[in-house]
Formats: sequence, C-alpha cells, structure tokens
Amino acid sequence: MPALRELQHALYRSLMERGGGDGAAHIRTDGLAAADRIAIYRNTFYATLTNALRLSYPAVHRLVGADFFEASAQKFIEAQPPRGAYLDEYGAEFPDFLAQFKAAMSVAYLPAVARLEWAVSCALHAPDATPLEVAALCAVGEGNNDRVRFTPHPSLSLVRASYPVDTVWRAVLEQDDAALGDIDLGDAPVWLLIERLPSGIDVTRLSERAWRFTSALHAGQPLNEAIDLASGVDVSALLAEHLTAGRFIGFNILEPVTPTHSLESFA
Amino acid sequence: MSVTRLAPQPATLEKHNSIPARAGIGLRFQHHQAVLDERPNVAWVEVHTENYMGGGAPLAYLDSVRRDYPIALHGVGLSLGSAEGLDLSHLERIRQVVRRFEPGLVSEHLSWSVVGGAYLADLLPLPMTEEALDLFCRHVEQTQAYLQRQMLIENPSSYLQYRHASIPEWEFIAAVAARTGCGILCDVNNIYVSSCNHGWDPSAYLAALPVDAIGEIHLAGHTVRQLENGYTLRIDDHSARVASDVWALFDEALSRFGPRPTLIEWDNDIPPLAVLLEEAAHADALLRRTERADHARVA
Repeated sequence: MPALRELQHALYRSLMERGGGDGAAHIRTDGLAAADRIAIYRNTFYATLTNALRLSYPAVHRLVGADFFEASAQKFIEAQPPRGAYLDEYGAEFPDFLAQFKAAMSVAYLPAVARLEWAVSCALHAPDATPLEVAALCAVGEGNNDRVRFTPHPSLSLVRASYPVDTVWRAVLEQDDAALGDIDLGDAPVWLLIERLPSGIDVTRLSERAWRFTSALHAGQPLNEAIDLASGVDVSALLAEHLTAGRFIGFNILEPVTPTHSLESFA
Repeated sequence: MSVTRLAPQPATLEKHNSIPARAGIGLRFQHHQAVLDERPNVAWVEVHTENYMGGGAPLAYLDSVRRDYPIALHGVGLSLGSAEGLDLSHLERIRQVVRRFEPGLVSEHLSWSVVGGAYLADLLPLPMTEEALDLFCRHVEQTQAYLQRQMLIENPSSYLQYRHASIPEWEFIAAVAARTGCGILCDVNNIYVSSCNHGWDPSAYLAALPVDAIGEIHLAGHTVRQLENGYTLRIDDHSARVASDVWALFDEALSRFGPRPTLIEWDNDIPPLAVLLEEAAHADALLRRTERADHARVA
C-alpha cells in the first residue's frame, strides 16, 4: 500500500507524462482503464490552465489563433505548471517561453506583446492601495527633498518594448484590422507606463527620459538619483502628474550615508 | 474534583451561518453586470474564493453585491488532502477574503490538488485510508483554527477509486465532520455522479451522512458520456440544467436533512442569468414544500 505522499507523486507523474508514470498501478479498473480515468483529470488540468492563460493573454490568443495558442499553452503548462492555486498569478513566464518557442518565432513581436499583456494582467489584479496625498509630502524638510524614495502603487509597472506593442495590442483587442495594417513596426522602441485607473487599465507612452526617471522612482531610487537620469525633462511637472494620478502610495527618506568609524578607529 | 473535558470541538468553533435555507446561485463573471442591473430576487450568492484574491474591479464589485445579498465563499485551491501540507500563503489569502466579505459560509473540498508544489487545477480524489483521514482532519483543524471559524467540506465527484481504499467515502466525510467539527457541504449532483461512476447506492450515501453537520447543499448539471467500450461515464462539468434524477435525490436529501441553503452551480456553457434563476426557483419550491412538511410534523 503506497503512502499518501508516494501515491500523489505517482499520480502527478502519470498526469504529466501522458500514459507513462506509475500512478495507474494504484487505480481500480472497473470497466475503464486506469489510464483513461487519469486522462479525465489531465484534460481538466490542461483546459483550466489554458483558459487561465487565455484570460491573461487575449491579444496573443487573437494574434496566433486558438489552435496555435492551445498548442503553445500546452507546451508551457508541461514545462512550468503553476506553483499555486491563485491562477491570476499564473503565466508570468509565458512571454519568455514564447520567445524561445521555435514555432512562434515567425511573429517576432509576439513575446513583446505578451510582456505588455502580463503587465496589464498584473495591473488588473494588483491589490488595492490608497494613493499618497500630496500634502503628506509637505512634511519633508527642504534639505531632505533629494533623498525621498517613493513606494509605487502595486498596479503600476513600466515596460520598454522594441516594437510598438501598445498600438498592436489595442488594434488586436479592438479587432481593428485597418489600424493593425497601418502600424509601422519600426516605430520603436516604445516606453510604456501601465496602471489601473478607476475606469480600467491605462497604457501610456512616455518619452525615454521620463520613463527612465519614473522607472528609477518605481525601483525605489531616491529622487536625486532619478533626476540625474532625466535631463531635459520638467521633473516638477512630471512628479506632480504622478502624484495626482495616484501612482505612489507612500514614501520614506533615505538616511544620509555617514561614516560610522572615525579615521582614528582604523589606526 | 476532577474536571473531564468532553466538550466536542464543534462547541468551540464560531459559526457564522447567515445564509438562509433557501436557493442561491453561483455568481460567475459572466453574470456580474446582469446581477448589478437586475438585482434578481435570489436569497444569496456564492463565489469562488480564488476569484477575489487580488484587488481592483472584482473586489469592488463583490463589495457592492455584498450590500444586497448574503455571500458564501467556496474555495477550490486549498488542497486539504495534500500529503506535503497546506500552502500557507494560499490560506492567508483565503483569510483576507473572509475578513473583507464576512461570508455566511466558507467551504472547501474533500480532495487534493497540490503535489511537489505544483497545482494540478482539478479536485483529485483522496485514497479513502486511515492515513488520508488523519491527514485531512489535521488540515481541516489547521484551517479552522487559522480562519477562526467553522468550514464546510464538500464531497467531490470522482472518476477513479484506489485499489487500497478501505473506507467508503460517506463514512470518510462523516468521520471528518465528527473529528474536526466542520460541517458538510452535501453536493447532491456529485453524490449522483460518483455513485453512477462507481456503482454506489446514492440513497445509502445520503443516509450515512450526519444530519446536524449538513450546512449547505449543491446542485448542478452533468454530462453523460457513452464510451466506445460501452462504458457509461458521468462528467461533473456544471454545463447543464440539474438532471431529473438529481432533483429526485435532492428531494430525498431534503426529507432527510430538512431545508438547507441550496446552491445552483453553472460553470461551463454558462446560460443567461434567467436560466439559473429558474433552476433556483425550482429548488426553492422544493425547499418550501419541505418546510411545510416539517411544520406539519411538528404540529
């Protein structure tokens, strides 16, 4: 009699290996082969996860068609089954998988569209958070302005793409073939900000420098370091826009680095 | 003087059941707008816990539904039967959804879905053994302690049985309720589907369940598949109206348990909301008839 742990691993192998594995040995036949019984669970496994990927990657699904999407999803699920039951988090690695998937290489921009879709999906499901009140920043003393580090809203992300994926994404989802035909794939790279607004998900193009500034803040770099990346950008206006849009939910002041030992202590 | 503590665990578990013994519907995304617009006359709704674990629009939506309807939370991902133990991050997510929506009932399944850290996206049957029973009860106790409330455990539909199983499923789930103080979510369609697939007697299954533990009933449609070798398999795909045999079994369940909160579930080929409401109205009619019969008996 197999221990429960042993049995569950055996079934897992049989489920993933399509008829292989040793799970069938533990299952009663009763008029239907054990492998056929396991296949019922395998079908649900693939159908549920393929559907989860389709919900996160609707534009990729439309671009490649249902059959191709299903085939690529199946390969991906085999290689990287979910690590948890919260399926809104499943599929982060799908864009990288598509980039390596030989059959998908004829659509060069597919992984880039997928990366944007993942950012959109994360923005949709990100936890709620209360935006930082501009007034709260007034408490920061003049001398500390440079060392402010912001906490970004969980729905905010920044994506750089080598193709105009935002226009591709919109045209595909709106099934606007005319717009799709007009797209100049050379109109790139694009520097995108993705966020959740009360009205839905918004994808905005930024200038490269504004994007680098915003990315630095998003990554928790202090304001002065972000400003160094933003020459030619009206930093005050951009920061005001971010705050008004609720893109930050908190801040702290980076402690100044002070030498902890005097020279004498090394003597 | 010695004090013997014999108080069973059920007494220590906080019960929150604010769900009336009437028909409710499983609320899916396809019907969100219709429910907002029409505010249908249905006594309560149940949602899948896993669909409300993030933030944004789904949570705001459910807040709004919660103002008008009692809500039950039905989880599909906790995998209480996993030998490797519970995913504590998933349990914490459930706790957060429970805190936010203060559901009348919280349920999960007599099954497992996680092995080697991978989620198999289906409710796999447990081997009905003493080892599995001990482990499952430990996980139910752990979950009830973490959520600080009683939960319900649902009998699954299944398509396989293990060679080394030694306990009938109905005895297994009754033992889980007795040992942990959890309630039972009696899925009448699942009893029917599993009984047909495995040659069990559905009436005997119902008769073996402890009446006091039944906190909720589920009803759904299933599909009959004739296989090439002549074998008939019933698949619990929640893609149709409740079958007439299942309505009959529901009636039998009601005469044994009395009226209980009863849910209509529909998850594939989802029809217009009106169809679910028709099914719920039918369940309500049977529930009312049971209530009258109960009153008549008392009088």
